[in-house]
Amino acid sequence: MPLTKIADFKIERLEILGADGRCDEALVPVISKEKMLEIYRMLVLIRVFDEKAFKLQRQGRLGTYPQILGQEATQIVPPMCLEKKDWLIPTYRGQGSYFARGMPLVNSLLYWGGDDRGAKLPDGQNDMIFAIPVGSHLTHAVGVAMAAQYRKDSAVALTYLGDGASSKGDFYEAMNFAGVYKAPVIFFVENNQWAISVSRKTQTSAQTIAQKAIGCGLSGIQVDGNDVFAVYRAVQEAIARARRGDGASVIEAETYRLGDHTTADDSSRYRSKEEIDLWKDRDPIARFRVFLTAQNVLTEDADLEVRRAAEEKVRSAIDEYESVPEPNPLSMFELIYGEPTWNILEQRAEFERYWASGSSRRETLASAGEGRFP
Amino acid sequence: MPELNLAQSINQALHQAMKTDDRIVILGEDVGVNGGVFRITDGLQKAFGAERVIDTPLAELGIVGVSVGMAAYGLKPICEIQFDGFLPSVMDQVINHFGRLRQRSQGKHAAGLILRSPHGGMVHAPEHHSESPEAYFAHTPGIKVVIPSTPKDAKGLMLAAIQCPDPVVFFEPKRIYRSIKENVPDESYEVAIGKARVAREGKDATVISWGALVHTCLEAAQKLQGEGVDVEVIDLRTLSPIDIGAILTSVSKTGHAVIAQEAPKTCSLASEISALIHERALLKLQAPVRRVTGWDTRTPLFRLEKYYFPDAARIAAAVRETMSF
Ligand SMILES: Cc1ncc(C[n+]2csc(CCOP(=O)(O)OP(=O)(O)O)c2C)c(N)n1
Ligand SMILES: [Mg+2]
Repeated sequence: MPLTKIADFKIERLEILGADGRCDEALVPVISKEKMLEIYRMLVLIRVFDEKAFKLQRQGRLGTYPQILGQEATQIVPPMCLEKKDWLIPTYRGQGSYFARGMPLVNSLLYWGGDDRGAKLPDGQNDMIFAIPVGSHLTHAVGVAMAAQYRKDSAVALTYLGDGASSKGDFYEAMNFAGVYKAPVIFFVENNQWAISVSRKTQTSAQTIAQKAIGCGLSGIQVDGNDVFAVYRAVQEAIARARRGDGASVIEAETYRLGDHTTADDSSRYRSKEEIDLWKDRDPIARFRVFLTAQNVLTEDADLEVRRAAEEKVRSAIDEYESVPEPNPLSMFELIYGEPTWNILEQRAEFERYWASGSSRRETLASAGEGRFP
Repeated sequence: MPELNLAQSINQALHQAMKTDDRIVILGEDVGVNGGVFRITDGLQKAFGAERVIDTPLAELGIVGVSVGMAAYGLKPICEIQFDGFLPSVMDQVINHFGRLRQRSQGKHAAGLILRSPHGGMVHAPEHHSESPEAYFAHTPGIKVVIPSTPKDAKGLMLAAIQCPDPVVFFEPKRIYRSIKENVPDESYEVAIGKARVAREGKDATVISWGALVHTCLEAAQKLQGEGVDVEVIDLRTLSPIDIGAILTSVSKTGHAVIAQEAPKTCSLASEISALIHERALLKLQAPVRRVTGWDTRTPLFRLEKYYFPDAARIAAAVRETMSF
C-alpha cells in the first residue's frame, strides 16, 4: 500500500500597511475616513494613557502596571470590529481593548491602583472581567459563544491571549471545544514575542502559533500586528465567519512589548537593546500616521489637536482616579455569596467592632512589606 | 558566616546542593536567564547550565507533571510555581499523582520532588499574587508542606527537603524575602521537617503561626509584654506533618492558645490545629482556642489588604480575649 497524502495545510500571513506607511491597495479593508480617524484618535489616546500610567506607578501613585506600549494596534482595533451585542474576554494586558469597548480609563487606573471598583464594567457592556491566571479565561470565551449560539443571538466572543498563554492546556481545550461545536469565537493571539523573560521560541517549537488552529479544525492566520489594516481585515473576516456559523478562528498577531513585562520587571536582564530598537521602527501608530497624512485624511494641525485632546482626556481620567475616596473596608464582605452566610455576617460584625474600637487602629495596621512581583 | 536574607539563603542552599547532587534539576517559568521573578534561582543557570535549570513554557500543570516523571526516573526536580495564586491549576498532579504515587505503584516509584512557591500577602501585589493556599496541600495525603520564617531555617529546610524521599511543597513567605537578615552558616545543614521552633518563650499564652506572620506575632508578643502578658510564639515551620508534640508542650504550660494565619478561617490549618489541641489537651486549657485569620472572603485588591490580613493589634486582641475568658 503506498503512502497517500490525506490532508494538506498551509498558514498564511497577512500584511497590508508596511512600516514605511505604504500599503497594498488591493487588500486595504473598506473603512470610512471618519472611522480611520477614530481609530487613530484611540491609538494615540491609549499611548498617552500608557505613558502616564507608567509614570504614575514610578511616582508611587499606582500599583504594578502592565504597559501596552507598542501593542496599540492589537489592543484597539479588534474590539472596534465588534458590535454591541458581542462579547470581549480580554487579558490583564487589556486596558486598550477595554477602552476600545467603552470602559472608562479611570477604571483601569482604579484596578491597577488596587481598588476593586475598577473592575466594574459599565452597565450594558457585554464583556467579562479579565483573568490574571494566564489562559484560564479562554474556555469562558467558548462558553459565552456556545451560549450565544444556543440563544440564537448571532453574537460572537472575542478573546485575547499572549504567546505565553498559548502554551497552557486551557488554550488547546478552548480551541478544541470551539472546533467541535463550531462556536462563534475568535482567539486573538497577541504575540508580543515575550512572556516575561521567556522568548516566543521557548514557548513552542511550532513555526507559528496560528498553526495550532489546524489541530482543532479552526481557521488560523498570522498577521502583522503592528499593521492596523491587517489586524482589521483579519478580525473582520473571522467575525463574519463566526456569525455565518462557519466556526472559530485563531489570529496570531505579531507585535512587540516595547516596555518591561510590568513595572516590576527589568527586561534588560533577558533581551537586547538592538531587538527593542528594531521593533521601535515598526511602530503601529507612526506608520498609520504616515498613511493618513499621505492620503490627506490627517493634517499636521489635526494631528496636533488629536494629541492635545488625548492629553486632556488622560489628565482628567487621572484627576478623577485621584479624587475617588478610599474604598470602604466593609466591601470585602460583600458579593461573596448572593446572600451572605452566617460566617461572613459574623466576621463582618467582628471586623466592624474591631475597626470601630481601636482609635489607634489606623496606625497599628501593618504596612506593606518589601517585595518584588511581576 | 555572612548575613543573608531569605531569598539569598534559599539560593545558596540550591547552589550548594546542585554542586554535589546531580539529581537536582530546576524547572519553572523565568527561573533560568531571569533567575526567577524573585531572583531565588539567580545565577544557577549560569553555574549549572540550561539542561539543569530549565526555562519552561508557560504551563503550570505541565511543569509539575514533567517533574513527577523526572522524579519517577530518579531525579530530584525542584520546580517553581511563580505565584501562590497559580497553584490551583496544578492540583490534579498534586492530589491525583504525586501525593499518592508511592502507594499506587506499590512502592516502585515515589515522586520525591520539591514544589516551590511564594506565599502570602502584604506586598501590594496585583490580584491572585497574595494567596495562602497551604491548607489544600496539607489536606492532601502523601506530601510534606514546609514554610520557613527565617533565612537560617530556609536554607536548612531546603536542604532537608532535598534529602526527603517524599514530595515536599516548599512555601516561601514573599513579604520577608528581603526584609529579614541574619547570619547563615556557610556549611550544609538540615532543619528537620516536622519540627516546630519556639520563636519566643513565654508562660502565659501560646501563639502558633507560620511564615511571615510569625514576625507579626512576635510584634504582638512585644506589645503584650508591656501589659504583663508573657507570650510564647511557636513557629510551626512544617505544616504537614504538624509538630503536635511542640504544640501540646507549649499549650500544657500556658493553658491559652491562639492560632494566627493569613489564610481564610473555614476548613483551614488553624481549624486542624485547634481540633488537635481540643482533642488532646482540653483539660489543660483555660479558654477555648482562638483563631485569628484572613476573612472567609476573597483576598481584596491591595488598597484593602491591610484590613484583610491579621496584624499585630488583631493578634494581641485575640490573646487578651483568651486571657480574660
Ligand atoms: C497561570 C499563570 N502563570 C503565571 C503567571 C505569571 N505571569 C503573568 S504574565 C506572564 C507571562 C504571560 O505571557 P504572555 O501570555 O505572552 O502575555 P504577555 O504578558 O506577554 O502579554 C506570567 C508568566 C500568571 N499570571 N498566570
Ligand atoms: Mg507575550
